[in-house]
Amino acid sequence: MDIIVIIIANTIAYGVPLLLVALAGMFSERSGVVNIALEGIMIFGSLFGALFLTSNLMGTDYAIAHPQFMVLVAMLISAILGTLFSLLLGYAAINLKADQVISGTALNIFAPAFAVILAWAVQGQGITDIPLPDSISLTSDWFGIASANLPDWLDTLLNKKMYLTTPLSFVILAISYVTLYKTKFGLRLRACGEHPQAADSVGIKVLRMRYIGVAISGFLAGIGGFAFVMASSDSIFTGQVAGYGFLALAVMIFGNWKPGRILFAAFFFSFFKTISALSTDAQLASIFPTFNLESPENLYKMLPYLITLVVLAFTSKQSRAPKAEGIPYDPGKR
Amino acid sequence: MLGLKSKKDTSPQKTITEISELKVTVISSVVSIIVGLLFGLVFLFIIEVIKETPDMTNPFYGFSNLMVEGFSSIRSIIKVLYKAAPLLMVGLAVGFAFKAGLFNIGATGQYTVGAFFALIAAILWQFPWWAALIVAMIAGGLWGLVPGIFKAVFNINEVITTIMLNWTALFFVNLLFYNNPGIYESRERTMNLAVANPSAILPDLGVSDSYFNIGIFIAILFAVVIFIVLERTTFGFEIKACGNNKNASVYAGIKAKRTIVYTMLISGALAGVGGGIQYLSGTVPYTVTSTTLLPMGFNGIPVALLAFSNPLGIIITSLFISYLQVGGEAMQPVYSPEMVNIITSVIIYFSAFALIVSQLIKKYMKKRLGGDEATEETDVVLDVASEEVNKISTPKTPEEGGEK
Repeated sequence: MDIIVIIIANTIAYGVPLLLVALAGMFSERSGVVNIALEGIMIFGSLFGALFLTSNLMGTDYAIAHPQFMVLVAMLISAILGTLFSLLLGYAAINLKADQVISGTALNIFAPAFAVILAWAVQGQGITDIPLPDSISLTSDWFGIASANLPDWLDTLLNKKMYLTTPLSFVILAISYVTLYKTKFGLRLRACGEHPQAADSVGIKVLRMRYIGVAISGFLAGIGGFAFVMASSDSIFTGQVAGYGFLALAVMIFGNWKPGRILFAAFFFSFFKTISALSTDAQLASIFPTFNLESPENLYKMLPYLITLVVLAFTSKQSRAPKAEGIPYDPGKR
Repeated sequence: MLGLKSKKDTSPQKTITEISELKVTVISSVVSIIVGLLFGLVFLFIIEVIKETPDMTNPFYGFSNLMVEGFSSIRSIIKVLYKAAPLLMVGLAVGFAFKAGLFNIGATGQYTVGAFFALIAAILWQFPWWAALIVAMIAGGLWGLVPGIFKAVFNINEVITTIMLNWTALFFVNLLFYNNPGIYESRERTMNLAVANPSAILPDLGVSDSYFNIGIFIAILFAVVIFIVLERTTFGFEIKACGNNKNASVYAGIKAKRTIVYTMLISGALAGVGGGIQYLSGTVPYTVTSTTLLPMGFNGIPVALLAFSNPLGIIITSLFISYLQVGGEAMQPVYSPEMVNIITSVIIYFSAFALIVSQLIKKYMKKRLGGDEATEETDVVLDVASEEVNKISTPKTPEEGGEK
């Protein structure tokens, strides 16, 4: 029983950032802009969120009394900085018609270097890690229930690895779905990613829609980066996000650019990642067969990636990318 | 492209045009580099202002260290060459795949596998250096072959497969490491090559400097071979045709799937050799890590992009990036060597604007030359420049999955 609860808790902790960032990628690509800069945007956004949470402001009485409010502000800071950073990609890709993968790569190189240098400058030479305060995690107390009154399994589920971004990510998923499929805006956005010339011919401002798509992408990737630092990185900002931006890109493709399937893909991957992570757990390691190998956990760590590859091979027939993604809009081309 | 050529041939100013074409590419690269360096200097000032005790002379010292270090002594120059060799190989790997319209973001995985198999061959099998390099080449090639097959058979985007295989490579290598006790000195790193098998260390041609070896010459040789393959062989033409327009190339009778598989095989092999060159130099052992991918493979991306994926250009850009990295180390301890990456990223960001830069150059040329004659000529130049941009444009991600 305990194991199942631990698996669920960890799957959610790993899966939430993946879900958020994959949704971020989806908005950008559905508008026609390939966003390979997700990794960079996550780092850039979460850097400022982390700096806010470790700033002097956290010492004030108000902050001590309302830690979750401060987390919310930090999350919004991450999101806004992520948006601003993503506009660099937007400007290059939309206005200047530059190659989107190249400008995205530039942002990916910039962000981790910038994070290290800024952390170094702010905190002193050689110190690049920014540990977040303990008060940021959600507890059952915050919901008004004393943790002693809860059954053990619910206590584990709620009091470990639960953060403000966790419930919020499901709200964001719902909003994303409604926005994309049930609003005029969503229809227009998708049209710009499928056939921008046709969209233009009925009066949709393609360039503006693409900017909005990229901006939403930056907003969500900023939140996703912040969620990663809180939940998946033991609440320490280390100047990198362990390739989650790229993994999210894979999840987005695996999820076929659709919110519902992205949810499935994100948790599918994070479930196997959790299982593989448990193989190093002191108590649970004995469950995993060793095949007479030294350090068999490395075998299990390969699993989530290999399983995803196999599943992709089987589902590749249905895969369908937005048709116009990656192609700068040229009104003259019909 | 063909249309452009015939236009050039009929033009009486053929030679002038050809010179200008190269000129525009070079000028726009140089402009990007200058912008990147200036941005770096400004950035140093900003960082200095944020510090608690700003010292405004620091940015100048830091910047001059960055610029001068690479030339400051023979030893520095040797270090630049030493660092450039693996960069050149991974740059070639990424650039070669770009030519076929493939974005090989998995060079780091292929590099890791190549590096480790080179060490297995050197330490466990006692191979000489050249045989160990061949083993690295085969291992990297096989690691690149997988995404090639996935792309050709299942039409799965190579970006996603190579990302997955990067991490798989890391854990696979760790598994091999721990299960071959003969290879490691401690639980963290492999044996020192000078002790385990001196014949596996790359020859140094009699220069007594630990950083000097023939790695850079091997890498340059590979660059020249790749250049010849791309420019002078049918296979090279097929690769470029696939990269420019896959559907048109299939229509013209090119077996696009086969070309993709071979391209990824070769790309992976090049990255694998890069890993071999790095770890057979005998200067560093392989250190086990399970949290981060080796950065070298990713460094190949800017090297390739800056050179517009031209193999000969990659020789120059890998030396340039290596020169910056050596300079970046000299900025310590006042500034983090990551400064180099800031500059590189700005350069790449601006080189993506090659089209805009060449338009400005065109305007300038028009002004200087004046008259109608110049207009036609510079138009061609612009075409070439924009084509140059198209050439490096990478696959339009996820691809025609549903169409087929």
